[in-house]
Amino acid sequence: MVNLENMFGPKVFYKRLMGLSIFSVLILLVPLVFSDPYDLELLFLCHYYVILACSWDLLTGFTGNVNFGHAFFIGGAGFAGALLNLHFGWGPWLTLPIGGVVAAICGLVVGSFTLRLKGPYFAAVTFCFATLLYKLIMIQQNVFGGEEGLSGIDWLSESTLGGYYISGILMLATIFFLYFLSKSPFGLILRSIGENEIASEGSGINTTYYKIVAFMISAFIAGVGGAMYAHAQMHVGPEMAHDSLSALVLIMAVVGGMGTIIGPIIGAYLLTIANESLRFMGEFRLLIYSGAVVAIILFAPKGLLDIFLRVYRRVVGQAK
Amino acid sequence: MEGSVSMEAILEINELSKAFGGLQAVLNFDLKVHRGEILGLIGPNGAGKTTIFNLITGFIQADSGETLLMGKNITLLKPFQIVNMGMARTFQLVDLFKEMTVLENVMIPCFSHRSKSRRQSGEKPWKVALHFLEEMGLEERLNEQAKNLAFGELRLLDIARAMATAPDVLLLDEPFSGLDVEDAEVLTKAIQRMHKMGQTMIIIEHRLRDLLRLVERVVAIVFGQKIAEAPPEEIINDEKVIRAYLGERRS
Repeated sequence: MVNLENMFGPKVFYKRLMGLSIFSVLILLVPLVFSDPYDLELLFLCHYYVILACSWDLLTGFTGNVNFGHAFFIGGAGFAGALLNLHFGWGPWLTLPIGGVVAAICGLVVGSFTLRLKGPYFAAVTFCFATLLYKLIMIQQNVFGGEEGLSGIDWLSESTLGGYYISGILMLATIFFLYFLSKSPFGLILRSIGENEIASEGSGINTTYYKIVAFMISAFIAGVGGAMYAHAQMHVGPEMAHDSLSALVLIMAVVGGMGTIIGPIIGAYLLTIANESLRFMGEFRLLIYSGAVVAIILFAPKGLLDIFLRVYRRVVGQAK
Repeated sequence: MEGSVSMEAILEINELSKAFGGLQAVLNFDLKVHRGEILGLIGPNGAGKTTIFNLITGFIQADSGETLLMGKNITLLKPFQIVNMGMARTFQLVDLFKEMTVLENVMIPCFSHRSKSRRQSGEKPWKVALHFLEEMGLEERLNEQAKNLAFGELRLLDIARAMATAPDVLLLDEPFSGLDVEDAEVLTKAIQRMHKMGQTMIIIEHRLRDLLRLVERVVAIVFGQKIAEAPPEEIINDEKVIRAYLGERRS
């Protein structure tokens, strides 16, 4: 009898926990080295994009259902949080989870109608939902503020350092949750759907149910991220529901490596920092940034994480 | 032919019909399968054998007719619901979870509602999956990605996957196709073991020599219609079956 305790026993869990814990300690210690408000703001942005890219990865990276409208949930929750704060005075500790719940409910509704669609049809419908929200924001100026958006929302934190830690903790919670979820039976089932939905159904799996739940979780986390960003900026504008944000989140996950949760972390950090670092290049910045993204997708279609892992295995293999 | 067959019809197909445009793939097909029985389904290429499997497992909707599994009408159910009711199948063109390991492939059905409810409390899904891999002689390959398996091994893996759903009725679509002598022997023994334990099976197969030594009854179809139903020793001498396979004599 083959013994598989090494593959499924508690040792594997602790090994994974150890890896994520080291990353968490690094996140907590970073302000000791980078204490400049500009650096902390930049790292806040990294946290924000990690939350968005990882949440996008759960549905699309695992089940293969390409969501082209993640901004629908990000912007929707951002505006929901902002409106609740402005009209009822609810603080971030209430509006963040409520924003997430609003997004999850939207995920349930959108998912129930669209997740039976395959391939480009699902992608097109999600894209349309985000566009609808964007247009609604522009049309309903008295509610959403139109192009100007809504300002005067409560702080996420009065200090930049506080914002860094709040976003950092939310990012770590997202990573821990999604990473362990992806390694659970739930994650395995999502992967099976992504690989072969017919065989998955033929194995007794209610694929529609799992896709809807994944969509709701993905939307909830994106919603919390959106509400967090709105409070951090004390402003929410239509750009939070714009398709360029959906595209950026998608690119971050693809560059890092879809279907891994860890890959989108790499993609989000790299592209956020690269975008800022290249500012000195002026008008050439976008050209170089876009060119680099295209090159990575062409030469590393499975993402940077795949390259890192291959190099690591080769180095470890040679050392042995 | 060692297992005991009861007279209780575990699966009943009544007047099942399906047309694809102008092509009548299955017409008024009737069948009763008894609990514990192994039934062979034969016919030339394009006879409608796989279409019948697709119809009764919910992958294609029938135009008319009904399928009863243990007396319950499953005609309009979805494939996953039918699996959870107790009927699983393998696929003629094996296309599993290629990027996943062999073990993971068989673990997926262990998370189905039926498999979960039948597992003893505390029994790990991977242990159940491993049991079925051992049945098919694939335990040495459990960490291999499915895409690296030979075609014959993929067939055995597909059967292990279907078995892991704990089916009452197992449908095998050309399980011997592409198997070498060694793998065919592994499969034959596995089918005989399952039969001994009372597993009901319907097997579609072109390799009649392998099929006929396993089954108790054979149904032959041509153009979606049943032309003969008899024990194996009779079916090979049936005029209509011989004509369907070999064609009419010219003079």
